[in-house]
Amino acid sequence: MNRTYLMFDIRRTLRNKRVLLFSVLMPVVLFAIFGLTIPDGASEGGISAIAYVMVSMAMFGSMSAAMSSGGAIAAERDGGWNRTLRLTPLTPQAYVASKVILSLLLAVPPLLIVFLFGRVAGHVHLDATQWITVALVSWLGALPFAAIGLVIGYVAKPDSVQPITGLSTMLIAAFGGLWLPVDQMPSLMKHIAQLTPAYWTGQTSRSALTAAGVDTQALLVVLAWTVVLGVIALRRFRADTARA
Amino acid sequence: MTTSAVSLRGVTRKYGAVQAVAGVDLEIRAGEVVALLGPNGAGKSTTIEMLLGLARPDQGEVRVYGGSPAEAIAKGLVGVMLQSGGIIEDAKVGELLNLVAGLHKEPMPVGEALERAGIADLRDRKLKGLSGGQQQRVRFAMAIVPQPELIVLDEPTTGMDVESRRDFWASMHAETARGRTVLFATHYLEEADAYADRVVLMRNGKIVADGTAAQIKASVSGRTIRATIPGANLAALAALDGVRSVETRGDVVLLQCADSDATLRYLLASTRAHDIEVTSADLEDAVLAISAEQEALA
Repeated sequence: MNRTYLMFDIRRTLRNKRVLLFSVLMPVVLFAIFGLTIPDGASEGGISAIAYVMVSMAMFGSMSAAMSSGGAIAAERDGGWNRTLRLTPLTPQAYVASKVILSLLLAVPPLLIVFLFGRVAGHVHLDATQWITVALVSWLGALPFAAIGLVIGYVAKPDSVQPITGLSTMLIAAFGGLWLPVDQMPSLMKHIAQLTPAYWTGQTSRSALTAAGVDTQALLVVLAWTVVLGVIALRRFRADTARA
Repeated sequence: MTTSAVSLRGVTRKYGAVQAVAGVDLEIRAGEVVALLGPNGAGKSTTIEMLLGLARPDQGEVRVYGGSPAEAIAKGLVGVMLQSGGIIEDAKVGELLNLVAGLHKEPMPVGEALERAGIADLRDRKLKGLSGGQQQRVRFAMAIVPQPELIVLDEPTTGMDVESRRDFWASMHAETARGRTVLFATHYLEEADAYADRVVLMRNGKIVADGTAAQIKASVSGRTIRATIPGANLAALAALDGVRSVETRGDVVLLQCADSDATLRYLLASTRAHDIEVTSADLEDAVLAISAEQEALA
């Protein structure tokens, strides 16, 4: 990670208030529609149904924020920014790590706001340890999506990056079981779900709500996704020297 | 033996079917100010890209301060001003400079770099709202803020008006006076003449001349006079003192002149010449003249 580069990016991102607002608004609205409408006491896979939806939507919010942040590099690349960076001592590893950390930071507001909303409006009751655990693992769950965002940012053109990111986010969320519980899916869909990183991040986050605690196997799959996608992003950065 | 700042040996690069660089050998010693001169498509940008490690040569070797371009850049030895792009439009000038300075070990204070580039007043402005000339100055500040040993500029004055061009070269001159090694690409002969100790002329991916600006200029001095002269006495024209060669196209006569003023006086006084045009040889003529010489020698 390079602190100078990270600070440069954070300053610019914080100026873009609309993006920040939207990243929070979307999951909150979805939680209101799918979560607040659930009857009291309903449960899903041994977890209170409303808590289940809250975690899924928070996960969806942090995942979209992480992905769109990575996608923003499509515009930077279009202006030949990569060439400039290549002509400084900044290493590709430090650059990609800084971008991933930026995405992780942007994943925080949707998580926190949806959890807060769930607690206040949805009356979700968890003990302090559960809140902290679920917040932490959900946050780590944004990692592979930060890397996916970077990969999309390298593949897409600036005018196509938004639809591509939007569509990918929706497909991954839908097929990965963030919108519809995997247990309610037909068996073919269940198999497909397991091919998406969203299934494993959702699994990790929701497991934090169960008595058994965090599903470490699912967490490992999440980290494996991160490493593989991170390496792809790194290779793309190295190869990309396109003229402006 | 002292290490060269830049050393290219037998470097070639093809883009698709186009041989952009067709075998370039170039040594630049520390402290030299070198202009890479040539028309568009001569291979200047590709040569610079290979020198910076942005493009890989198909053949040949590129060394910068004895190492690979990437090593020299990692050590912060090279400051670069690209021809276009390379900036982030929603960043502020000061932020961009802080970033570049922060990525290097021994930068000059950002305020000083802005001052030297003549844009101290633009520090809090976003890049988006700046004119082309102002953005070029930002790129220039980005090139000098690392206090590099070598500054590389790819057509730095493209898109600048005459005044900003003059201001730019004045700032640049201050940098070269500090003993930095400078390589700049340009297609303006005047710029090469005014600011470089040494001019390297490229055409069709090859170096066709390498010498002082005076040497290059000598081969392009003179003017061409074009006039319609019914029944011209070509032998008499060719015999004039200031005339080097005579060509005709129907009634139109083309005179290559060493002294166009004297020739012009003669034409007006002693012939029925009309529709007279006088043009100075341009870079393309220079390149053609020089490459014709080179081919004759070979």
